[in-house]
Amino acid sequence: MCGLIYLYGLIPTKEETNQSFPSLKGFDGIGDLYTIPIGSITAIVCNLDPEEYSENRIKELINNDIEWLQEKAFHHHETVMKLSKIFTLIPLKFCTLYKNRESLETAVQSNDSKMMSTFALIKGNEEWNLKIYCDDQLLKDQVSQSNPVIEAKREEISKLPKGKQFFEKKKLDKLINSELEEEKNKVSEGIHLELKHFALKGNVKRTWSSDVTGRKDNMTWNSVYLISKPEVEHFLKQIQQYEKDMKEIGWQFEATGPWPAYHFSSFS
Amino acid sequence: MRQASQTNGKINLDPENAEHGLAQLVLTVIELLRQIVERHAIRRVEGGNLSDEQIENLGEALMNLEEKMEELKEIFGLDAEDLNIDLGPLGSLL
Repeated sequence: MCGLIYLYGLIPTKEETNQSFPSLKGFDGIGDLYTIPIGSITAIVCNLDPEEYSENRIKELINNDIEWLQEKAFHHHETVMKLSKIFTLIPLKFCTLYKNRESLETAVQSNDSKMMSTFALIKGNEEWNLKIYCDDQLLKDQVSQSNPVIEAKREEISKLPKGKQFFEKKKLDKLINSELEEEKNKVSEGIHLELKHFALKGNVKRTWSSDVTGRKDNMTWNSVYLISKPEVEHFLKQIQQYEKDMKEIGWQFEATGPWPAYHFSSFS
Repeated sequence: MRQASQTNGKINLDPENAEHGLAQLVLTVIELLRQIVERHAIRRVEGGNLSDEQIENLGEALMNLEEKMEELKEIFGLDAEDLNIDLGPLGSLL
């Protein structure tokens, strides 16, 4: 069949032959998902009309039609989530398209050995995400009260005339802010290293701004872990313990998962 | 009607509440200028070219300005976030 191919993910062929493939609607809401076996790897795809979903048209929709983007991104995410619950899945990024079946087959074949080692890595394991948030004001108060250097500086400033106090207080604020950032990083890194003991792999990601999270407190840490299924419970218990111990001093922990292994498998 | 005090990084110029949106806009500009002046003053003080008296006068003036800004924010029901408007891809103003 001629036309574009939308690729959702890749699975080991032997898993596809061992069980029936679920009935799922494709990206356009009309056609169904189906599989294309390419040797030991099977691609999970759907067909798309090349005119309706040309590269320029998709770019235009992504940039200008937020409702379309929301609906389709949700469809992609839901579909990949469902598939990852059934198969050992290498998930593909939103809107991964191939011109035809041949170009998809060539891409898969040229990455064959890399994909097989990725299957071996992610099989039986789950991806979990941890986001740490901090109440900066609460932490700032703790940093400025518990630090003897800051305390001494504050005492010194209080003896200065008003105008000079203004400048010195500004300098002190700067010092407190840098101490705060250092403290937040030190604590978060310590937690990350401890959590890595439960995981096969752990990677640090970029934190998100408040505009993205919609929260008032700042995201201090964002990391992903690949964890073997039996270890997940221990991993989550450890996070609950952090939450319990640190909630009152302004720390909040948000663990989510299991996610399709987006961060531990790449296919280009 | 949306209140200007909501921290959405946008200026509220709702026709029924224009004066409030205008106050937010004016205070945003004043706060930006105040911060620029403050940073410039700190640089001059750190540069070491000002006398003790000049530093004292400058510090006191900036302190009064800061206090006045706090009063004005309170009068118009605004907080620091309301004056930190969203400049889209450029990030936040302040």
